[in-house]
Amino acid sequence: MTKKKSEAANEDQTRDTKKKSVSAVKSSQKEKPVLAKQVKSSKEEEDLLLDSATDSDYDGDSLSGSLNSDDFDSDVFDSEDDASQKETEGGDKDSSEDELELHGNEDSDDDDEGEQVDSENDEEDGSDEEREVAEESDSSEDEVAPRNTVGDVPLEWYKDEKHIGYDITGKKITKKEKQDKLDSFLANMDDSKNWRKIYDEYNDEEVELTKEESKLIRRMLKGEAPHADFDPYAPYVDWFKWDDAIHPLSSAPEPKRRFIPSKWEAKKVVKYVRAIRKGLIKFDKPEEEPNVYLLWGDDSASDQKSKHLTYIPPPKLKLPGHEESYNPSLEYIPTEEEKAAYELMYEEDRPKFIPKRFTSLRSIPAYENALKESFDRCLDLYLCPRVRKKRVGAHSIINIDPESLKPKLPSRKDLRPYPNSCYLEYKGHTGAVTSVSPDCSGQWIASGSADGSVRIWEVETGRCLKVWQFKEAVKCVAWNPLPDFPILAVAIGQDLVILNTELGTDEEQQKIEELLRLGTLPEQDEAVAAIVSWLPDETYGGIKIKHFKNISYVDWHPRGDYLSAVMSAGETRGVVIHQLSMHKTQRLPIKMRGLPVCTLFHPTHRGMFIIATKKNVRVFNLQKRELAIKKLETGLREISSMAIHPGGDNLIVGSKEGKMCWFDMDLSSKPYKTLKNHPKDITNVAFHRSYPLFASCSEDSTAYVFHGKVYSDLNENPLIVPLEILRGHSTSSNRGVLDCKFHPRQPWLFTAGADSVIKLYCH
Amino acid sequence: MPKHYRPAGKKKEGNAARYMTRSQALKSLQVNLNLFRRLCIVKGIFPREPKKKVKGNHHTYYHVKDISFLQHEPLLEKFREIKTYQKKVQKAKAKKNEELARLLLTRQPTYKLDRLIRERYPTFIDALRDLDDCLTMVHLFAVLPASDRENLEVKRVHNCRRLSHEWQAYISRTHALRKVFVSVKGIYYQAELEGQKITWLTPHAIQQVFTNDVDFGVLLTFLEFYETLLAFTNFKLYHSLNVKYPPILDSRLEALAADLYALSRYIDASSRGMTVEPKVDASSSSQSNDRAESELRLAQLQHQLPSSEPGALMHLVADKEVEEDEETRACKSLFKDLKFFLSREVPRESLLFVLPAFGGTVSWEGEGAPFKEDDESITHHIIDKPSAGHMYLSREYVQPQWIYDCVNARIILPTEKYLVGSRIPPPHLSPFVDNEAEGYVPDYAETIKRLQAAARNDVLPLPGVGKEDLEDPQNLLYAGFMSRTEEIEAAENKKTMAEREKQYHEELKKELKKEVTGSVVDDVAAPVVEEGEGEESSVPDAAQIAQDTADMPTLMMSRKKRKLYDAMKIGQKKKSESVERIKQRKKNLKADQ
Repeated sequence: MTKKKSEAANEDQTRDTKKKSVSAVKSSQKEKPVLAKQVKSSKEEEDLLLDSATDSDYDGDSLSGSLNSDDFDSDVFDSEDDASQKETEGGDKDSSEDELELHGNEDSDDDDEGEQVDSENDEEDGSDEEREVAEESDSSEDEVAPRNTVGDVPLEWYKDEKHIGYDITGKKITKKEKQDKLDSFLANMDDSKNWRKIYDEYNDEEVELTKEESKLIRRMLKGEAPHADFDPYAPYVDWFKWDDAIHPLSSAPEPKRRFIPSKWEAKKVVKYVRAIRKGLIKFDKPEEEPNVYLLWGDDSASDQKSKHLTYIPPPKLKLPGHEESYNPSLEYIPTEEEKAAYELMYEEDRPKFIPKRFTSLRSIPAYENALKESFDRCLDLYLCPRVRKKRVGAHSIINIDPESLKPKLPSRKDLRPYPNSCYLEYKGHTGAVTSVSPDCSGQWIASGSADGSVRIWEVETGRCLKVWQFKEAVKCVAWNPLPDFPILAVAIGQDLVILNTELGTDEEQQKIEELLRLGTLPEQDEAVAAIVSWLPDETYGGIKIKHFKNISYVDWHPRGDYLSAVMSAGETRGVVIHQLSMHKTQRLPIKMRGLPVCTLFHPTHRGMFIIATKKNVRVFNLQKRELAIKKLETGLREISSMAIHPGGDNLIVGSKEGKMCWFDMDLSSKPYKTLKNHPKDITNVAFHRSYPLFASCSEDSTAYVFHGKVYSDLNENPLIVPLEILRGHSTSSNRGVLDCKFHPRQPWLFTAGADSVIKLYCH
Repeated sequence: MPKHYRPAGKKKEGNAARYMTRSQALKSLQVNLNLFRRLCIVKGIFPREPKKKVKGNHHTYYHVKDISFLQHEPLLEKFREIKTYQKKVQKAKAKKNEELARLLLTRQPTYKLDRLIRERYPTFIDALRDLDDCLTMVHLFAVLPASDRENLEVKRVHNCRRLSHEWQAYISRTHALRKVFVSVKGIYYQAELEGQKITWLTPHAIQQVFTNDVDFGVLLTFLEFYETLLAFTNFKLYHSLNVKYPPILDSRLEALAADLYALSRYIDASSRGMTVEPKVDASSSSQSNDRAESELRLAQLQHQLPSSEPGALMHLVADKEVEEDEETRACKSLFKDLKFFLSREVPRESLLFVLPAFGGTVSWEGEGAPFKEDDESITHHIIDKPSAGHMYLSREYVQPQWIYDCVNARIILPTEKYLVGSRIPPPHLSPFVDNEAEGYVPDYAETIKRLQAAARNDVLPLPGVGKEDLEDPQNLLYAGFMSRTEEIEAAENKKTMAEREKQYHEELKKELKKEVTGSVVDDVAAPVVEEGEGEESSVPDAAQIAQDTADMPTLMMSRKKRKLYDAMKIGQKKKSESVERIKQRKKNLKADQ
C-alpha cells in the first residue's frame, strides 16, 4: 500500500466525518421530533446502512472514545482494498464484528441518524432530487474513494496530458484549469479559511479540511495518536492468571544469592560503623558557636607588629555645615536668581547641595540620594588609591598656611642701601623717553626721547643742561665710559651720531674736537663700505655714521674707543663695531644665526663680546675670531635686554614674556635662576657698577630692584633677593618704563618712562 | 639601549617590582573580578598610588605585598570552596535531584569574618576610629525595605535594625552622645568613645527609595563586614557595662517598635540585676498576661524587670561613674530633672535616643509607654504640629528642634521661640562648624553663645561695650537679645577706628622716612625743574606697599611651590567669597524687611 493512497483514503474518511458533523449541528439547531427513517430502496438502504455504518463508526468513536485497535485496523483495511472491502477472511470477521457493534451504536444513536434524515427531509421540497443525487454521489464517493482509477503510477506520466486519468467507467477525467497565482493569493486574502484547502493532485481537486481534521493532522505530525481521546498509557491489564499456577514460568533453580546476606551491603555497613566509631559521622547536630564574642579581650596583642603594609585609615567624611540644616538661617538659602544661575553652570561647577528650608521636622522628606551617597562612599573606600599625605610640620599639607610656603628671605633692612622711593623727576621731554645714560662721573645724565630730542640733565638738581633736536626719534643714547671723553653716542634712525657734550675742561675739549674731526677717512673694507659710511654732522658738529638699517642698540667698549651698533640684520651685518680713534668700522668676523637684539662688551676680558639673539646668548672672542665660545640657553621666548655683572661672570637677561634669567657663566649654560616678575615685557635690565644691585623695568610701568650678591667663593651661589617694586610711572599708549640705569656711584636708579618723565629713585 | 632595558635574568626593581595592576593581580590570584572585589572590601585592601606608574596612568595599582597578603588569606580558599559547592547544588538541581539539592543546601560551607576584624583592627580603638562609615551604613540599611530584586533579605534589615538600636542604647546609657544635627540628609550624631569622635548619619525614618544606579553587590559586601564589625564592637561595649550580649528583649516592647526603650531597660536591668533579686511586679505581669501567656516570655520579663517603676529606669549605678569626665557629667545632667512626653508625630526613635542620653526621662504616646500623657510631673511636651489639642498648664509645649538645640548648646535654652504653633523655630545650626574659622557667625549662634556665657555666670566681653556695663549677666542677656544690631554696628565702628588709627600711624612713619630722604634734597641746590607732584606720586598707598612686600618672596619660590601657593590662595578666596555672598544675602534680607 502506498502512502498516497492511504492518505487519499484518510482524506475521504475525514471529509465524511466532516459532513456528518455538519448535519448533526444542523439537526440540533432545528430540534424537530424524531421521525422514522425513510428508506428509498433496498439498494439505497444497503448503501445507507453501509454509509451509516462507516458514519456511525466515526460517530461512535467520537462519542464513546473507545477507538480500539481493531477498529483502526479495519479502517486501514478498508482503505487498503479500495472498493471491495470485505473479501479477506480476517477482514470479513472484523467487519462483521464491526457491523454488530455498529448496530448497537446505531440503536443508541438512533435519534442522531433520525435527525440527519429529518433534516434531509426538511429541505426536500425543491431541491430534494438534487440532494438525493448529491447524497448518492456522496455515498458512492465514499465507497469508491478515488475517482481516478489510474492506480499507483507516477503522476508525471500524465503531466503533459489533458487528463489526469480515468474514472470508473473508463472515461478520461480532464484536468481542471489551473488557478493562477494572483487568484490564489486573492482567494487567500478573501477567505481566512483558505489555508485549510489542500490540492489533491491525484484526483485534481481541492479538498477543504475541517478543524477536527486539521487537529488530527497536527497530532499526527507531532507523532501522537491521531485521535485526541486515545490514551497511550492506559493501565495494563494482565490477562494471565497467576493465582493457580503451580509451576514457575522459568524452571531455573533459585540462585544462592537470594538466600545469603549481601556482601556489598555488609561492606557498606562496616564502612558506616567505622566512620561512626571514628567520629566522622555525627548524629547530634554540631553545637552552634557563638557568633559574637569578646574579640578585643586584652589589648596586649596590639603590640605585635602586623606583617603587611601600614594601614592608611580612610579620610572621614566632611561634616555638615550650617547650610545642610533642615532649617538653616535664611541667608544660606540661595535666591531664585542664584538658583537659576546654578542651572546655567557646568555640571561639575554646580554646587552639589542646594540648601532648603523646611518649616517643621515632620515635613522633611526622605533624602533621595541616601543610597547613592552611601554607594559612592563605598566606591571611594575600595577603589580610590590612598596616599599618606606628606606632612609639613605638624599639619597636613591641606591645613597649612599658604604664607609658610614662601621662602625666608633676608630682611630688606640689612640689604640697604637700595633705591626705594622717587626723589627727583626730570621733565622736559615731550615724547616717551626711550633711553637714558648717566655719565661715568655721575654728575650728568643724558636722555633720548621719541620726540627726537636728546637732553643732558644735572643729576642732583634736575636741571636740563643741553638739548639737541633731531628729526627722528632717538632710539638709544650711550655715554662714553671714559671720564675724560664726555661724548655721547646717539642712535637716530639709521644714523649713529657722536655728539660732543662740551662738558669738561678745555684740554679735554681739544682732544675731543680732534677726535671728532673727520680728516681723510681710512680705507674701508668694501663690504663694510656698503653698509656704513662716516660723515661729519653738519648741525651739531660731530660725526654721523650712516648705516644701512635702523640702529636699535648702541654700546661702548669699557675702554671708550670702540662702540658697537646693532641692526636687525642677519649673519655678519647685524652688528658692526666702530673704532672712533681710527674712524674705522668692522663687521662681525663670524657669521651669526638669528637677528641680534643687543650686545655687550665684556667688562674685564678685553676681547670678549656678548651678543643676544632672540633665543640665545652667545659669547665670542673677537681677537681669536673663532666660533662662539659659549652659548647660553635661556629658554626664553624673546630676549629683549641683557646686562652683565661688573665682575664679568654673571649675566642677566630680560625677555618679552616678563621673565628674567640669571646666568652664572662659570656654572652652566642654563639659567641659575629664572624670575617671573613682570606681567608684561621687560624693556631693560641693569646691574649696578659697585653695589650688589640689579634692576629690571617693564612695560607694566614698574621697575624691580633686586639684591644680587656675587661671592668670590666659587662654591657659593649668588644671593638674589627682591627688594623693591618701584612704581610711579604711568602708562601711555600701552608702554610703561622704557629704560633703567643705575647711577655709577650711588645706589640710585634712573627710569625712563613712556610718560616722558625720567625718575630718579634714591635710597 | 632603550630607556627601560632590563638585562635578562635581572629582577625587576623599583615601582615595576613593587606594584602590579589590577588585572595582573587577578591573574596571580586566579580569581574573577567579583571575588577580588569582595576580598578587597573584606580585607580592607585599597589601590596605591605609585610615584611612577609603569603600566600607564589609566591602571589601578596594587602593592605586591597587599596581593600576596590576599594570596595567603584562608578566605580565598573558602570562597573557592563555596563556589564549587554551589556547582554541586546546581548540578543536583539540573538533574532534578531535589532531595540532594536540599540536603546540600543545608550543609553549605560558611565563613566568618571575626578573624579579619581582629586583623584589621588590632585594638578596640582602631575599630572605633573607623566606625563612622560602618554606623552610617548600618543605620541606612536599618530603614531600607527588604527587596527580593536587590537580594536584600528581611533578616539582614532586621539585623541592621537590631545592631543600630544596640549601639544607640549603649551610647544613650553611657551619655557619650555629644552633638546632634538635623540636616536634610538625615540626623547626624556625634558621640565620643574612648577619646574617639564618632559621627554617623541616620536617615529620616521615612520609606527610603531604591535607586537604579547603585551596585547592591558592593553595598551588601560592605554591609556584611560592617554588620560583623558592629556586632563585635557592641559586644565589647556591652561587656564593659557587664551586660550580657546579645540582649534578650521584651518581645512586647519589641512588637510596639520601642526597641530602644526595651534595650535601655534591659541594660539597666541587667547591669543592676546582678545584685537586685528579680521579682515579678504584679501589674507588669498582668499586663503581659493579657497579650500572651508563654512561659518563656514571663521568664524574660522577670529577668528584665527587677523593679518596674519607670522613674528608676535611668537609675545609674554609682560605681560605674567614677571614671566619667567633665563633659560626660555635663551631658548627663542637661535634662536631669525634666520629664518629656513625645507626641505622636515627632521622630520618636531619635528623641528616645537623645533625651535619655542627656539625662532626660521620656515617655511617648502609644502603648508600652512608661507614663501617660496626663502625668502631672511632665515638664515638656514635645509636639510638632501647628496646635496642640488639650493643653496642660503645668508643662511647656515645644517643638522638637528645641531639644536638639539645647543639646548642642549644652544649656536649657529659653523655650519661647520654640513654642508650638507660634512660628517657625529659629534656625537650626550645625554644631560641627567652627564659626570663627569659617569667617561668618550666624546671628543665632551669637545669641546662643551669649546665653551659654550667661549660664556659666561669667561675662563675655562684648565688642564695643565696656566691662562696667556688664554687671548683671541677665541684663546683658537681654541687651544681647534686643540690641544685637546696634552692638554689631558699634563693633564695626570700633574696628574701623582701629583701622584708621593704624593707617595714621603708618602715614606718620612714612613722613618720618620722607624727612630722612628730604635731607638729601636740602643738601643739593634748589631744583630747577618742578618736582612738587613727584613727592606725592612717588608715595604709593600703604596697601600697595604692603601688597608688594607680601608678594616679594613669591618671586623666589619654585614654580611648583608657587602653583601650590596660588591654588591655596584661590581656595581661600573662594571661601571668603562664599562668606561674602552669605553676608550680602543677609544684608539684602535685612533691607527687604
